[in-house]
Amino acid sequence: MGTRKNDILQGTLVLLVLKTLTSGKKLHGYAITAHIQRLSDQLLRVEEGSLYPALHRMEQDGWLRAEWGLTEKNREARFYSITSKGRKQLAEEQENWNRLTEGVARVMRGAIA
Amino acid sequence: MSWLGRLRNLLRPSRLQHELNREMSFHVQERIDDLQAEGLTREDATRAARLQLGNYTLQVERTRDMDIHQRLENTLRNLRVAARALAKSPGFTATVVATLALGIGANTAVFSAIYAVLLRPLPFPHAEQLVTLGQVNPKMRQPFVAPVRLSDWNRLNTTFQAITGYYSQDESETSGELPERMTRAFVAPRFLQVWGVAPQIGRDFAPAEEHFGGPSAVLISDRLWRRRFNADPNVVGQKLHFGLSRTGAVAVPIIGVMPASFQFPLRNVDLWSTSPEDAPFARGRELTWYSGVGRLKPRVTIDQARANLAAVQSALGSQFPKTDAQLTPDIQPLKEVTVGGVRRSLWLLFGSVSLLLLIACTNVTALLLSRAAARQPEIAVRFSLGATRASVMAHLLAEVFILAVSGAALGLLLAAAAASVFRTLAKSLPRIEEIGLDWRILVYSLACAMIVTLACGILPAIRNTRTNLARGTRTTVVGSNRIQLTLVGVQVALAVTLLAAAGLLVRSLDQLGRVSPGFEPDRVLTFQISSSWSETADLRAGMRRINRILDGLRALPGVDSAAVAYSIPGVPTQFQVELTSDQGRAETEPKIIAEGRTVSPGYFATLRIPVLAGETCREEANIYTMMVNRAFANTYFRDSSPIGRHLAQTGNIYIPNSVVRGIVGDAREAGLDREPVPTVYWCFTLSQPGTRFIVRTRSEPRLMSETIRRAIHDLEPARSVFELMPLIGQISDAYAENRLRTILLAFFASAATLLACVGLYGTISYIVNVRKREVGLRLALGAMRTQIIGQFLSQGLMVSALGCMAGIGLALAFTRLISNMLFGVSPTDLMTLTSVVTIILGVSIAASLIPAIRAARLEPMQVLRDE
Repeated sequence: MGTRKNDILQGTLVLLVLKTLTSGKKLHGYAITAHIQRLSDQLLRVEEGSLYPALHRMEQDGWLRAEWGLTEKNREARFYSITSKGRKQLAEEQENWNRLTEGVARVMRGAIA
Repeated sequence: MSWLGRLRNLLRPSRLQHELNREMSFHVQERIDDLQAEGLTREDATRAARLQLGNYTLQVERTRDMDIHQRLENTLRNLRVAARALAKSPGFTATVVATLALGIGANTAVFSAIYAVLLRPLPFPHAEQLVTLGQVNPKMRQPFVAPVRLSDWNRLNTTFQAITGYYSQDESETSGELPERMTRAFVAPRFLQVWGVAPQIGRDFAPAEEHFGGPSAVLISDRLWRRRFNADPNVVGQKLHFGLSRTGAVAVPIIGVMPASFQFPLRNVDLWSTSPEDAPFARGRELTWYSGVGRLKPRVTIDQARANLAAVQSALGSQFPKTDAQLTPDIQPLKEVTVGGVRRSLWLLFGSVSLLLLIACTNVTALLLSRAAARQPEIAVRFSLGATRASVMAHLLAEVFILAVSGAALGLLLAAAAASVFRTLAKSLPRIEEIGLDWRILVYSLACAMIVTLACGILPAIRNTRTNLARGTRTTVVGSNRIQLTLVGVQVALAVTLLAAAGLLVRSLDQLGRVSPGFEPDRVLTFQISSSWSETADLRAGMRRINRILDGLRALPGVDSAAVAYSIPGVPTQFQVELTSDQGRAETEPKIIAEGRTVSPGYFATLRIPVLAGETCREEANIYTMMVNRAFANTYFRDSSPIGRHLAQTGNIYIPNSVVRGIVGDAREAGLDREPVPTVYWCFTLSQPGTRFIVRTRSEPRLMSETIRRAIHDLEPARSVFELMPLIGQISDAYAENRLRTILLAFFASAATLLACVGLYGTISYIVNVRKREVGLRLALGAMRTQIIGQFLSQGLMVSALGCMAGIGLALAFTRLISNMLFGVSPTDLMTLTSVVTIILGVSIAASLIPAIRAARLEPMQVLRDE
């Protein structure tokens, strides 16, 4: 794997998963990991140990819907899709995230100056 | 959605686990594929994939822990373990469950009564809008309203949806062999509209039926419908027959059946008919006969309604100065009028059962402390095996929860019997038929159980998990004795409080029984005969009829004398009147205010009220006569004799002016618990609904019932006899509420004493048990057995004496609250308090002596060997 390990900040996993699913496509857990890793140019690595508990919880909270289906390789996998409640949650998380990064950025600028 | 998901997981835990397994293994497979594609061998890829996923089982568990299921499973396991632990000590479990069943059951029972009677709205739609209306005349306590005025109020106000009125009388229905007594309410127009209730079968009155001379019609009660018509659905159109003689009966068609819950104006009402407001005899503004009821408009407060109607009445006052200027309307919430009288009694009972529950809780806490102390080693083992404090506490609380819920379940059985207990003890309690169990009572008792769990469980749970591991393995737990003894002291104090209150109420009831009422209630039978208000149009004819009946009664063998009166002596009633004397009184002298009674001349002989001066009144041809009591003569005629004076009551249209013929002894006419007040007796054989016949018999009055019934039937075949019962029964029924609260409070107090006793016994036994070794050693070293007994006995007595002292303080505060329910004893009655303390100390000695003797009987060698 060779890439530098960069664990996902606590709490951002939900944001990333929801964002990944906004396209409306149904994805299984592995595809979600792969998608996040690919889009982040391998900068972010989803730890499987956190992913499944998170997916499960998000399903219980009603943000995701899950159903069993077959992959191209004809394997059984659990496919996740986003619900309208999930979209609302995403908007909220995104807002939080923006505020956080903006805040952190300001602090960093201040520290440099 | 989310809850549904959780619930699904909950119901199918294994499926969840299975799905997670499948999902994870899919992930590993995909990873292996990718790694192989990157060039790893299959084994390397598999190992790397697994490594990357981390501890497989841990993942599954972490995911599962998200589940509510996990928490629930923990709880269930706790409950299972707790149930097993409890099953192992059946004696302890039974004691605690019985204690809590008593505490929670009694509490729930009284709450079910409070809920049904006081808290729940009356059984009418928007019952909070219903009010009663009366007219107040400063000269005369006279709550009835003139039909014309009621109709004016209804027409002129802006705050009521409608105002209506009613009066009632007992009549005889003469279709059958014997006349059947029926209670009929005569109602003004708009009656059902005010109640918002429709007949369950048939229809409301038609407008034509509400006018004078219109067709007659009657609505019947659900009770009558079932009793008389066997719930026949085709009852509408059938006829009932009413009449004062066999020949002149009038047939009245039934137009509908009211629902069972509609019992207004009286619980035993059978019929409703219209009372036309436009009848010629109802035109007079001074004729009052309606009790008024009204329904407020939505969002109108009672104060707004009062102000509005007061304005309406003052306008009427200027229009009709002679009849209306002095009057003011009186508006009260219907619910308050219905149940206000029993509020204090019910809350007193509720306060008492809450104390009882508190005692039960204290008792259980002490028992739990002992039990948990004995289980220190087990708890220590749990800790050393890695249990957290929270989980041990949860475990201990789970035990208490099981106990409390079992107690509550048993208690509900007790509460289920509450309604019949209330019905037996006080059948006149308003709304008594509404008392029963429903889901709210269930929720209440469950809430009790939860509170009990926390209240009883938390202290033992905290104390016994505050252990350090080293100490826990030894069995030295003597330190917690103090707290248990304190708890016992608290129980004793509360029991003393309840016993003192109960003692005072019992003494009051006893005093009431001993009071000399000024008349002789034994061997007196009372009854009523059906009659109608329309007969009062000819008072002379009524008087002749009653005198004929009285003569018939007096002629019966076994009857000493007979009379009629408009009230029953000794049963609380008030009819206050203002009188003027022909003597002319100075402005400075107080107004003559007295209780007024209308009686036939035989009244005094029948009730054995002595004539002190003058002569017994007779009905004279050209003048009305009256008697006054000694209190009246002493209050208003201190210097002269009232005999021969003329007294008149303002506004009395029957008896304008009467002459005093004599003075009789003071009798407790207005209730046994009330001092005799100045009273006047009009000697007037009044015949109207509500007139009571009073008969003195030579032997047990009940034995004469049938004879009297038959005699009346011979004289008046179209009239029915009802409420035939001994006078002492009538008086006793009037104090049923007193009796109810006294009996229940006495029961609660005995239960409290029993619990405190069990608590003391349990705690001393426990202490003896813990100190067995010490006792054994001392006995081995030559201590006298009496010393051992004395030691434990004095410990028990000390606690109970301190409890008594605190209890007396509490009792003094508590009994002050009930001081106006007492009769003939003061709230600080020394005798009551002394007997309470004696009882408590007595049972305390018994409760501590048993374990103390057991301690003294220990065989030293046996004990020391066992240790």
